[in-house]
Amino acid sequence: MAKDPSLSRVELLQGTLDFIILQTLRWGPRHGYGIAQMIRANSNDALQVETGSLYPALHRLAKKKWIAADWEVSENGQRVRVYTLTAAGRKQLVVEQSKWEQLTRAIAGVMRPPFGEDCT
Amino acid sequence: MRFPWQRRRDARDAALDEELRAHLAMVVADRIARGESAEDALVAARREFGNVTHVKEVTREAWGGAWIERLMQDLRYAARSLRRSPSFTIVAVVTLALGIGVNSAMFTVMNGIMLQPLPFPDPERVIAVGYNTQDAAYDGMSDHHYVALRDGIAPRLFEHLATYTNANVTLSGDGDPVRIFGAESTTDFFGVFGVRARLGRTFDADARVVVLSDRLWRTRFNADAAIIGRSVGIDSVKRTVIGVMPASFDVPAGADFWIPMTLVTHEGRSWNRAVVARLRRDVPLDQARSLWATAAAGFELEPRKSRSSYTADLIPLKRLIVGDARRPLLVFSGAVAFVLLIACANVANLLLMRFASRDREMAVRAALGAGRRRLIRQLLTEIFVMSAAGAVLGVGIAALGVKLLMTIAPAESMPRIANVHLDGTVLAFTAALVLATTAICGLVPALHATESGLRASLAEGARSVTAGRGRLRSALVIGEIGLALVLLVGAALMLRSFQRMQQVDLGFDGAHRLTTNVSLPADRYRTGAEIKAFHDRVMSDLTRIPGAQEVAAVNWMPFTGMMIDGPTRVDGAPDVDFTTNRLVVTPRYFAAIGQRLLGGREFTGADRESAPRVVIVSKSVADRVAPNGNAVGKRIALSPTPEPEDWRTIVGVVDDVVQNNVTDRRQATVYQPMAQVDFPFFIANIHYVVHTTNDQAAAIRAVIRHADPLLPVEPVRELSDLVQSSMLTPRFQARVLAAFAVLALALAMIGIYGVLAYGVAQRRQEIGVRVALGATARDVRGLVLRQTARLAIVGLALGVVASLAVTRVLSRFLFQITPTDPPTFVGVVLILGGVALAAAYLPARRASRVDPLVALRRD
Repeated sequence: MAKDPSLSRVELLQGTLDFIILQTLRWGPRHGYGIAQMIRANSNDALQVETGSLYPALHRLAKKKWIAADWEVSENGQRVRVYTLTAAGRKQLVVEQSKWEQLTRAIAGVMRPPFGEDCT
Repeated sequence: MRFPWQRRRDARDAALDEELRAHLAMVVADRIARGESAEDALVAARREFGNVTHVKEVTREAWGGAWIERLMQDLRYAARSLRRSPSFTIVAVVTLALGIGVNSAMFTVMNGIMLQPLPFPDPERVIAVGYNTQDAAYDGMSDHHYVALRDGIAPRLFEHLATYTNANVTLSGDGDPVRIFGAESTTDFFGVFGVRARLGRTFDADARVVVLSDRLWRTRFNADAAIIGRSVGIDSVKRTVIGVMPASFDVPAGADFWIPMTLVTHEGRSWNRAVVARLRRDVPLDQARSLWATAAAGFELEPRKSRSSYTADLIPLKRLIVGDARRPLLVFSGAVAFVLLIACANVANLLLMRFASRDREMAVRAALGAGRRRLIRQLLTEIFVMSAAGAVLGVGIAALGVKLLMTIAPAESMPRIANVHLDGTVLAFTAALVLATTAICGLVPALHATESGLRASLAEGARSVTAGRGRLRSALVIGEIGLALVLLVGAALMLRSFQRMQQVDLGFDGAHRLTTNVSLPADRYRTGAEIKAFHDRVMSDLTRIPGAQEVAAVNWMPFTGMMIDGPTRVDGAPDVDFTTNRLVVTPRYFAAIGQRLLGGREFTGADRESAPRVVIVSKSVADRVAPNGNAVGKRIALSPTPEPEDWRTIVGVVDDVVQNNVTDRRQATVYQPMAQVDFPFFIANIHYVVHTTNDQAAAIRAVIRHADPLLPVEPVRELSDLVQSSMLTPRFQARVLAAFAVLALALAMIGIYGVLAYGVAQRRQEIGVRVALGATARDVRGLVLRQTARLAIVGLALGVVASLAVTRVLSRFLFQITPTDPPTFVGVVLILGGVALAAAYLPARRASRVDPLVALRRD
């Protein structure tokens, strides 16, 4: 993850990055840079995905056929590779969502203060 | 040249490149839009983007299939590397080719003979029913026992049951009469094997029929399609050909015909015949075996078969057919495995030496970021390429080796020889060998070469590494010497055993004795008188051959395979009852064959039909008849319940003879004069023996042809040839093992030479210092020889210990020599030690020639 001096590095599991990318593409097709920008914006600069993590993830997801890639010409005449969420990807997104919710519930349960103790 | 997948990969690479460049361009554009200058934007964007090459690499990994890329790269690199040092590559590849080649050859033979199933449906259900004895893996049963089995428990155990016996007959009609080999069998014989006739049919109710083999049909009858229904003569009996079997059907081995058998079911005289059956599907073999054992317990065995040594058994037919070939094949397989290990040790040593010179290269590559695993993988790929090249060459060697082996192997040592050929299984085995040799030869050198301590060798003159390597090389050479010793000892034992066989005193003298066989057909020689008249005529003609010193005849000549035996009783000692061989001979037979007369006389013309019944006995019979005195004059009878006229007087005592195998004991024999034997069976099949100093084979054949032109021509052979022929298998086995041992010795010698030569080259400086300090040439030579001696002594010692354990395996093949025979061991140790020192000669000389100035300057 990106180096912001004030924040410590947030290590994401590979699966989580995949989930975030799929979620981002839910809002419409995007190229790699655009995906990184959107993730950064939506997380208030907390998550800055490095290209070294982003592109392997994108190609991996494309290989699994959860996203589809196409070449398009951008506004300034540049050829860019744009990724779109596929139907299978949409289904996977639902699965990932429930997995994430399960995970957060579990962690929340662990974080709950034990009976009778205070948490400052 | 780019392959399709490479072109696809290139396209993807280009696309990824473009994608990343677009990303970078957009980052720059955004920064410029935010107000940075073009240069600052570019620099900052690049920094933010990160290492482009790294991103490309990790993304490419996500594509998968990267391992192919790496493999191709490793292979290319390996090929380049091997091309750079051709002499090393050639030596290594040839060494591996030899090791892999002999192993593949041996596996081909083993596969064809032992591993492949028999060519019948459900071959594992075809079994031989009979007895297991001490002397033979299988003994059959008499016809009336067979009938009892057939009518008793057979339907519960077997789907098909049959008995058969070997038959040698004269085939006539359509050409010259010729002797052929085949079998008489009961009707269900072919059902046991589940094989149908290729043409026509097999037996049913008709008795006067014959089924031919494919081979006989092609050679004798020119594959005539109209063969079915033709009439041929089998031992002068006209039979109709009703079928031809497929080429793959070969039971008994080499059979050319099958005729229906008439069972001989009365008690008393009966033959031992083989019984085969097809097991029922629902009966497991063990259960069937115990049921058979129970039934067999009710059969009465002949008196000479004691129940303790005869065990009722069901034996899978394959085991019987493969039989005696199994153990030698296993021994040979072990021997070639040793050869392979020695070859691998040589190659491993070569690799250690070669990798030593690549220390620098490895260290640099490690410093550049290559992981140890990657380096090891690369080195192993190199070794794999060498192994594969060796294997390709090795398959060629194997093909030649198998062909050679098949040509020189005596027929009886290689059953199912037609089945032996290089096929897919052998290629798969070879591929497995390639992997094995890569691992054996390569792992240790590769691990050693990539040790992280090597980084230190970027500095000059690091010596600690070479010390470790030196120990490893020494250990490999010691191992080679040990293995070679084991093989050499084994081969030496076999050769000496064969030598002992050739020196056995057989009881007769085979040199200058020509012998030939005559079998008189029953239709033209019906009575004993007619038969004897023929023999008299022939023998008086044979005596007229120039150079013929003695002429005689016997029914079962030693080393021709047949023998009859029976019970013998002694007059006056009613409880002495033993079994002897029975032979029928003519007067002066013993002089003709060189058998010593120990007492009494030979048969003469006076021992006629009308004269009192006489016999000559061999020494062991005489010892039993008259333990303290002279057996001449005593009387014996050849029947278990002698009538008064059955008693015969002993008139002579001769040496015991070895009857069939050089390794057999000499046997107790009773000889009767032909004039006093009338039963055609005992005198129709006769061997003439002519003691002559010149080669009169043609004259002998002419005499027989003149006496009866219709008889089939049999070869005239020297008796000593017959004896030698019986030893073909042990001779063959000894020679094959010797060949492997010599190969191992050569490889070991090359290995020793290689290690010493390299060691001398490494120690050049040290030698230079020694010479400069006053060492003479002899001192330096002594240095090398002492090192060799140290290696050799340890190797020989280990080899001797290993041999003592291993040669036990050979004990079944050894005749009159123990597996731990000291003179053999001492001899082999001396030979191998000598070879090791000889291998050291050149390196020692080179070491003594080291010029100290040159050596010390090379820094």
